Amino acid sequence: MKTLVNFFPDLFQAEVEETLKRIQSHKGVIGTMVVNAEGIPIRTTLDNSTTVQYAGLLHQLTMKAKSTVRDIDPQNDLTFLRIRSKKHEIMVAPDKEYLLIVIQNPCE
Amino acid sequence: MPISPVNGRRQPNVGVNVGLGPRKSISFVGPGKGALMKGGYAGANQSRMAMSKNMMILPEAKQMEKMTISSAKTVTQVTDIHGVDVTPKPLYRPDPYSGTGKPNKLLTSQDGSHTSDFIASYSLYQNTINPSMLGQFTRSVLGSSTVSKSSVSTSESMAEDLEEPSFKRERLSSFTDLRVMRTAPGKIITKEDLEKTVEIILTETETMNFLNLPTVMFSVESEEAEKVSQRNKNYETLCRNRLGNDLYVERMMQTINGAPKNKDVQCDKILKEDKGIMSTAWDLYDSYNAMELSSLPPKRSMIDSSSKANVPSKDWEQTVAGSNLEKISEGSSLMDIENVILAKVHDEEEDNSDAVFKSDKFQQDLFFMERVIMENIFQPKLAAYRQLPILKEPEPEEPGDFLVDGKLEVVEEEAKKEEEEDLEISSEQSTIPANLERLWSFSCDLTKGLNVSSLAWNKANPDLLAVGYGHFGFKEQKRGLACCWSIKNPMWPERTYQSPYGVTAVDFSIGSPNLLAVGYHNGTIAIYNVQNNSNLPVLDSSESPQKHLGPVWQLQWIEQDRGTTGDDKREILVSISADGRISKWVIRKGLDCHDLMRLRRTTASTSKKGGEKEKKGEALISRQAPGMCFAFHPKDTNIYLAGTEEGHIHKCSCSYNEQYLDTYRGHKGPVYKIAWNPFCHDVFLSCSADWGVIIWQHENLKPFLSFYPTTYVVYDIAWSPKSSYIFAAANESRVEIWDLHISTLDPLIVNVANPGIKFTTVLFAKQTDCLLVGDSDGQVAVYELKNMPTTLDSNRGDVIVTLLGPKSSQSIIHHQ
Repeated sequence: MKTLVNFFPDLFQAEVEETLKRIQSHKGVIGTMVVNAEGIPIRTTLDNSTTVQYAGLLHQLTMKAKSTVRDIDPQNDLTFLRIRSKKHEIMVAPDKEYLLIVIQNPCE
Repeated sequence: MPISPVNGRRQPNVGVNVGLGPRKSISFVGPGKGALMKGGYAGANQSRMAMSKNMMILPEAKQMEKMTISSAKTVTQVTDIHGVDVTPKPLYRPDPYSGTGKPNKLLTSQDGSHTSDFIASYSLYQNTINPSMLGQFTRSVLGSSTVSKSSVSTSESMAEDLEEPSFKRERLSSFTDLRVMRTAPGKIITKEDLEKTVEIILTETETMNFLNLPTVMFSVESEEAEKVSQRNKNYETLCRNRLGNDLYVERMMQTINGAPKNKDVQCDKILKEDKGIMSTAWDLYDSYNAMELSSLPPKRSMIDSSSKANVPSKDWEQTVAGSNLEKISEGSSLMDIENVILAKVHDEEEDNSDAVFKSDKFQQDLFFMERVIMENIFQPKLAAYRQLPILKEPEPEEPGDFLVDGKLEVVEEEAKKEEEEDLEISSEQSTIPANLERLWSFSCDLTKGLNVSSLAWNKANPDLLAVGYGHFGFKEQKRGLACCWSIKNPMWPERTYQSPYGVTAVDFSIGSPNLLAVGYHNGTIAIYNVQNNSNLPVLDSSESPQKHLGPVWQLQWIEQDRGTTGDDKREILVSISADGRISKWVIRKGLDCHDLMRLRRTTASTSKKGGEKEKKGEALISRQAPGMCFAFHPKDTNIYLAGTEEGHIHKCSCSYNEQYLDTYRGHKGPVYKIAWNPFCHDVFLSCSADWGVIIWQHENLKPFLSFYPTTYVVYDIAWSPKSSYIFAAANESRVEIWDLHISTLDPLIVNVANPGIKFTTVLFAKQTDCLLVGDSDGQVAVYELKNMPTTLDSNRGDVIVTLLGPKSSQSIIHHQ
């Protein structure tokens, strides 16, 4: 799989782009953000200030959640974080190098 | 020499003395300066002292009262035999110049700080020639009593001494006030001197022996030996008895304490930094693990993250644009080279973002995120599909919330009050007739306009569905598509396999559930591995010499018992196609094909009516009959039924590939689908283009029950996995659910299609009460069967037969 990525970088990039576009176009999705480990937005569909705000706050929350999960069992790790609020749902896929954040309004 | 007490302090005329002083001091200093270093002073002083005795002390008039103690001081002069003055030099010499800067202060303030200054400068005093000497001289000229005062050692009288310098300072300050010219210090200490390295040589002094008591040794044989030993013994007993002995008494003594001296040192500010760290369980775990790992491969991303630290942050839009350009220019260069170039030339931020996008984990996260979003969007539908209770949220404007595994605890409080509602609803629903409720449909842009030709569930993953898109007719041929859909993502297929030919059959393998066999309209069979993302088939029969020449109408993976040949179940792929062959394909090194059967055209039934002779030699253009469908017996995989375009259903065996075992005649048109009843293995169902659905019994060559509900071609039928009475039929205009238990005349549920759309395939979902219907517009709709009447014995195998009565095959029921 790795070598395939090397030889066809555009292929996978295209697929990633497509998936991102699809996610953004889904019903109820308000915004999609990909932020790197420093909080700098790599890709976002919202304005910069909102993105930076979300990135900063969610980064801290993710750290805390990850710490909680690992404190209970160090072999465990956080894979996904969903925060459901009155108005919408924030879904975060955390990683060491990036944060994938999607805000969706699940109801109509 | 006689020492006379000093009374000079009592002299009131201070000013006069002051006036006298400087002149004399100046005059004195000049010649004697050189000689006065470190000891020349004494001589000079001495000479002065010898001559001038007890001069009056300069203005202490103000503080005369305090001077009572100091007045007792006398000047002591010591001379030896030869008249040389050996007066011990004073230990303490105040430094008048250290206080000259602030004359007023000296007068007003008390000793504290000034004395310290004096003391501080005291150490300097020895090394510098300073005007204090001059001052001393002045004093010596005027009154050696001052000198004597200063000569008092720094013991208890220190306090007085400390007082004294203030007076001296006072005096000296008045000196400075009156002086016209300020005497420069003996030697200007330049900056170079201060910074000059001073060599200090430390040498060890001689060892000073304070007490040396060498042991005395006596020979045992000497005369005194006895005495010595006796003395030793006495001593020992004395030591032992010392404790309680009256001879030895403990007593305290007071020692004289030396005067303490404070010394302040100033240093640079010590910078402090606080650092805190929280020790967590996982932190420790990680540290231990990191120690255990032998080598940490340097990740590219790590290098990126470290290198990008110095990059100034740019606007993200620019970086995205830059990265696009990068991609175009780089082309197909290797990732590492690309990164190196990027690092050198371009902004390293976009390098990192590219790395993020290309990482596998990111793709996976995107995948999950999409699924999660789907879950949110399709909440109630998916819950209905999975037969989870749908609970309504308290707010009336929200649609029904649904229970997923993890959210139970949130909704439990509402559960109790909702239960009553649910009971009411369910009781209401029992009066509502059975119906199909449409949940959602699998469709996307790719599939629009295509005709769904086949559906198949994955054997291992009940959520994975394979859909084949392709047109049936020869003239309508368009491109074909085989997609794998997941229930969890109804809006986009997981896999798509495109081909120029229409797909006519799909099936998942049982033994290796990741293999998907796809049959095309041009007769080729391709096998795909759905685990990886590749678009290429694993195996393809297009080069096989025995490939089918006509469209492959049905594919099925069969696990066959080898039986006597010893091996356990082996899986084969069986295909039937319009070229009249039923072939089995085996995956060895490629796709190996063997013909199971060649469908020959059968002659008309041999029942002669009225002695008519059978026409001999019917000229048949081709001896092959196109096969449309087949169905293997659920129990005995050696027996299978094959339906042909002629309308005949042949019972065949794998052991014989020349002859049929039986032929069921009843259909007038091509038989599109045959299905065995999953519970009752004697009964099977068939549908055909002659608008009819026929139930057959195994032993009976005549139809058992036939249904002709509409005047449309019935494309597909399927038995329900839950009840042996229920089956579904899809004809062009509608989907019908029949329940034989309720009625054999009418379908239980009829779902009419939108105009212009034909229903082409049906498939039941295994675990749930759902039905999938594919239509000619590329949509696979998922319907939920609601309010199906349940009968307790619907699973028994013999129910159909008992219901319909044995041998009731003679009556054929027509419905129009």
